[in-house]
Amino acid sequence: MLKGAIEYAPSTFEERGAAVAFTTPLLSQTRVRRGERSKLEVLIPSLSQGMGIYVVAWKSVPEMVSMTMHDRYLHDLIVREESCSPYEIRRATLKAARRGLAGPKAAQAARRALDEDEEQGTLTHYLLILSILKAVGLESPEMLKAGIDTDEGQRLTRQLMTRAAESLRMDATLLYARLADIAAVTAPVGLAHSPRPGRLTRGLNDLKGFRDGMMDWARDVPSDAAPVAEFCAEVAQHTIDIGEKVLGDFHRRIEAIGPLMRDWDDAFIRVRTQAARMAWLLDGWSHITGAWEVAQAEDHHQQAATVNDLFRILPLLPRRESSRDFVEDSKQVKMAHRRSVRMLEDWRTGQMDIDAIRRIEAVKARAP
Amino acid sequence: MTGPADGQGGGDRLPGLESRLFDIPEDKFIEVVRLLERVRDHPDVRQTFAAIRPRLVQVRPSRRPTLKRVLCMPFEDVLESFNGLDVPVGRIERRVIDPVWRLVTECGDRALIDQLDRQVQETAPGNLNALRNIGRRLWPMAAQAVRGAVGAAGEPDTGRQALWRVLQGDEEMRRQLLDVAAFLEIGLTIESLKDTLAPKPLAVLDDPHVDAIEQAAQAVARQSAGLVYYLLLVAASRMANPADLLTVLNDLDFGKARREQPAIFAQLSGLVVTNLEERSARLESKDGGKGAGTGPGAAAVAIAPEEAVAIAERLVASIDTTSAVMDVLADPVYRERLDAVKATVRSMVAGAVLDTAPAGILTAVPAPAANGRPAPVDEDAQAAAEDHARALRRCEGLAGALGLHEPLKDAMASMEKGLTARAQALLADYPKAAGDPDDAETAEMNLFYALRLLELVAGPAKADRLRTAIMAATGEFAEE
Repeated sequence: MLKGAIEYAPSTFEERGAAVAFTTPLLSQTRVRRGERSKLEVLIPSLSQGMGIYVVAWKSVPEMVSMTMHDRYLHDLIVREESCSPYEIRRATLKAARRGLAGPKAAQAARRALDEDEEQGTLTHYLLILSILKAVGLESPEMLKAGIDTDEGQRLTRQLMTRAAESLRMDATLLYARLADIAAVTAPVGLAHSPRPGRLTRGLNDLKGFRDGMMDWARDVPSDAAPVAEFCAEVAQHTIDIGEKVLGDFHRRIEAIGPLMRDWDDAFIRVRTQAARMAWLLDGWSHITGAWEVAQAEDHHQQAATVNDLFRILPLLPRRESSRDFVEDSKQVKMAHRRSVRMLEDWRTGQMDIDAIRRIEAVKARAP
Repeated sequence: MTGPADGQGGGDRLPGLESRLFDIPEDKFIEVVRLLERVRDHPDVRQTFAAIRPRLVQVRPSRRPTLKRVLCMPFEDVLESFNGLDVPVGRIERRVIDPVWRLVTECGDRALIDQLDRQVQETAPGNLNALRNIGRRLWPMAAQAVRGAVGAAGEPDTGRQALWRVLQGDEEMRRQLLDVAAFLEIGLTIESLKDTLAPKPLAVLDDPHVDAIEQAAQAVARQSAGLVYYLLLVAASRMANPADLLTVLNDLDFGKARREQPAIFAQLSGLVVTNLEERSARLESKDGGKGAGTGPGAAAVAIAPEEAVAIAERLVASIDTTSAVMDVLADPVYRERLDAVKATVRSMVAGAVLDTAPAGILTAVPAPAANGRPAPVDEDAQAAAEDHARALRRCEGLAGALGLHEPLKDAMASMEKGLTARAQALLADYPKAAGDPDDAETAEMNLFYALRLLELVAGPAKADRLRTAIMAATGEFAEE
């Protein structure tokens, strides 16, 4: 059911909703949230290039828009998720892509991303064990030499962790349980001293590259999309500033792993909140940075169209997260750039634009 | 360097290098090219450069500037390409470069050439401004030298002798030498216009581009009205669809060449048509002269379906624009020539996209195996089939212009039927795999890939029936 276009300035991340990597051009990067009575809603920006946001009941979306097979499947998956935070949405998105419904390249990228998640989880777990042992003065060269994936290494690890638990005055089982909780929360962000940055830290770095790319493009390419690119760079910069603070705070808390284990109830909630905030902050950006990378191979006209496409789905920060009102600022830019937007497929006739879908799938193959 | 300078005996080391130069990383390739450039006049090295040209075109390392390269700058856009199907309008053949260089060095101002040569050697690669400053002095002198040698009467003996050696009765070469002289005469204006008409190929001709062409045409007309045509050749060659230039040509103010404007228009229009004919002739030669009706696979060997559609889209856009402009000239001969070009494009599309669709699309969906286990997923075959299906869909945009409505409709219907039948066969076989998790996953991937092909060919509404059937068979979203 279509509730009509509304002016939209969400207060919180949850109200803004999580971006969904649909492949139907009209739905690409639309946001999903739990609305009244926990019912799922999708927020579709500027239908037919108008202003405002349409709030559509989740179950009505397939009746309203001719969706790709990938999106029908993803739609069915998301409705089965209990929550719709970026984590759950990503899990569903990767599952849909792994099925091959966004093409073989996206399927391969999804499989790679899932493997990397698993490797990152194992690596983070291992590094956290080392941190705990270091915190209680039990660093063991023998254990490092044996490696954690050998029988001998695991025996030594268990032995040392039991002693670490005693030192922390807690049961070894509880120590392992807490370790698993911290590892699960930390893996997506990554540890400060990890040899491989976590997915969200990489996302923050990609965002810096995107900001630079937008600034360079606005300066070097004469186009009426230049002010739009400048605005994109400003939003990216603002997000980076907040992201770096959150990341710094998160790493400081994880570094102090001894106090974290001891003052568990409060400290863990804070760590988990910061990790979730990182995920929300970067939600929707991986598609944008990936789309800009894909556009590098195109001519300036196509790039201008991409800049305008990205403006439409820019993850503006909710009011409570930012001192600056980007929603208001974006209206000025919107008035200026209306002329050169790329037409989406005609949603009334349901005619699919296979080139637009292909562009979205190319981004998915790069940034699943 | 191995072997004698005639290149006969030294062929064992460099040819090996040539093949390796296609495999090494890009940065290493650029490094090797830089080293080879220092000895580029050696016959073996020249042969190596010729062999690795495809990669040079692709990587485009900033080459060490030479005076010969500076000489070519004003007409580089109209030089024929090394390969591919796109032919620049009013092209100059590459075989003309060496004779031009010989004429300039033999008949031109030797002292100036030596001086400029030294300057070029001190110029860093990529320093376009410095090279243009050298060109500013080189091009007018070179134009005069070429014209002097080719010109009919009163030329100095040295010119006549040099020309005799160069031409040896080759009239086509003589014509192109005169064209080169014209490009050289307006070298600076061409270089400045290139900056505006960038990057090449220019997809759309916007107002700033049209203004720049008009101003450049006026500047050239002040030099000589006859040179405006050459400036426009460069402009047309920088555009993705050269015929677009024709659409704005009559609205331009050529200044002192105003009176010549109709003649220039007719001359350029004729050239655009000839250019289309040349491009379609290349299609036929690439196609091996085979088109529709020669059976599956005949043309696809040469042209991939997506490439075929992209070429056809460009050509059809050019034909349409040219047809519209040619109505002004009301010349039936042009109409016939354009129709012939269209017929060539039609048979290329039919041969490369429609006839090959069964082999290109349907075979990606595996038949159920006799042993009851699902066939392994072949993602390369799937990707190729998806490209083919997209090409087929893109033909919808060409069908009207090329008269392909019926064959396309038939091909689409046959693909829809074939894919549905193959998917149903996989679906019927699915229960055999369902017991084993790995087999079930493989069988489901095959089903989802078949679903995707059906979606690409027939659209989501028709594919949705298969999706519902797959979900019912796998029970994935069954209500708990």
